[in-house]
Amino acid sequence: MPILEFSGVTMSYGNGAAGSRGRTAALKDVSFVTDEGSFVLLTGPSGAGKSTLLKLVLASERPDAGTIRVADRDIHRLRKSSIPYLRRNVGAVFQDFKLLPDASPLENVALALQVLGLPPAEVDLRARRALTDVELDPNTRRSSRCLSGGEQQRVAIARALAGDPAILLADEPTGNLDPRLSREILDLLQAVRARGTTVVIATHDPLVFEHVEASQILTLAYGRLVADTAAVAPMPADAPAGMPSAVSIADTMSGAGPIGAVA
Amino acid sequence: MRVLHSMRYVTQRGVRGMAQAPLVQLLAVATIAVCMLLLGCVLLVWQNARSIADRWGVDVPVTAYLVDDVPADRVAALVERIAALPQVERVDVITPELAMTRLVEGLGDDPTLVAGIDPSVLPTSLEVMMPPAEAATAETLAAELAAEPDVEDVVAAGTWVARAQALLETLRSIALGAAALVGFACLTIVWSTIRLAVYARRAEIQILRLVGGTPSFVHGPFVVEGFVQGALGAGLAVTLLYFGFDAVEPLLADAFALAFAAGGLRFLSPLECAAVVGFGAALGVLGSRAAVARYVET
Repeated sequence: MPILEFSGVTMSYGNGAAGSRGRTAALKDVSFVTDEGSFVLLTGPSGAGKSTLLKLVLASERPDAGTIRVADRDIHRLRKSSIPYLRRNVGAVFQDFKLLPDASPLENVALALQVLGLPPAEVDLRARRALTDVELDPNTRRSSRCLSGGEQQRVAIARALAGDPAILLADEPTGNLDPRLSREILDLLQAVRARGTTVVIATHDPLVFEHVEASQILTLAYGRLVADTAAVAPMPADAPAGMPSAVSIADTMSGAGPIGAVA
Repeated sequence: MRVLHSMRYVTQRGVRGMAQAPLVQLLAVATIAVCMLLLGCVLLVWQNARSIADRWGVDVPVTAYLVDDVPADRVAALVERIAALPQVERVDVITPELAMTRLVEGLGDDPTLVAGIDPSVLPTSLEVMMPPAEAATAETLAAELAAEPDVEDVVAAGTWVARAQALLETLRSIALGAAALVGFACLTIVWSTIRLAVYARRAEIQILRLVGGTPSFVHGPFVVEGFVQGALGAGLAVTLLYFGFDAVEPLLADAFALAFAAGGLRFLSPLECAAVVGFGAALGVLGSRAAVARYVET
């Protein structure tokens, strides 16, 4: 069942009306469908439109044209007052973690549950559970600024998952981490997917392609979707060489692979 | 229940936010207190001036004292005749009993001075009310009333009433002007302070929006902050005003003993104090909402 659906989405930044010359295109006519429980890698060089696409899913930006459906709802037809409720169903993790630096991990995670208006006891219980799920000690009193990069990213993931969202978006989640911590975070994200949450990772880190088992890879270049592995038949176990795979697309990103068309 | 829990979280975050910048909060509260003190002083002067005017009866342009034992039907006929005059707004009959009640009230702390006195020693009188514009013609009306056979004596405050009423009107205008100025000043102070707080906590705002905080949840703590600043500032002003009044009142009472013979100065009533604090709090809420409005855009 589709959980995320882009249909002819075009988006540009700058002054003036949509389509005018003063604006810079970030996404052009992007269409794809992602099924529930998928693990999606969104890739492409810097400036390809990956972050813009995630912002559109979070309704932080509005498309100039096209429709975006999350769980079968056209999110850009939502009233402004309904956007917070959409975001409670779409967890987000960022390269710079976006944590409150002076707050403890527990307080950071609790924030996402407090917005739901849950009773304090339930907030505490669920925040502790979310931190335990990402293998962090919920009792630590250290402020987030005193945590390592990997720990901070775990807190951010715990916060994003605390409210049981249907989709988890992660924008360059390994961008600030060394390879060992990156693998830990990727394992964690795969465990999240195994629990049924749809995971969408925007990345151009080759390690991600090597390490994770993606069910869909979307490749963006200059704002256009140039490859969508879900648009082709699922790769059979005995797939011939040359079939797009996570690793081949990662190679493409570094300029060595067969899909040179991304440029 | 969820709303109550949300309000609790919002309040907690508001208080925590204030604790993060205590000096800024202190300065804002002190500045609001100074502004509200100005407003409180003007209110106090206006209120006491009005009260003194009431006690001295300057709101009654003409008082006609009747001869003894005028039958009720003749009093009623006289009242009807006077009330029909174009420059008259209203005529009140003050019976001896009512006059005695007023006298006792006017003596304030020492009503025993009139204990045992029969109210019948006081004459029945008619208080003739005139619109402020007609107050200057009180002397003419007084002369007309003096010609009535049942009227023994007439007292016309006349021009003095007009002057007193003009003074009260001026004081009222000053009070309103001060309220507007103070309101604007307080709004500006709260707006500036909250803008600083919003800037300092912009990361928190961004995070709250990303995790699905509604606009009221995101800007709520800042509104709490504005509310507390306004209410504390106004509360501090009322407290200072009270102690200032307490110190100055005996000096004024000695210096203007004649003016206060019919009753001393009085401080704002508890309800008026609450209204001043409420006004401060409302200004705080308005200022903070204006400051944070731009930042709660989704």
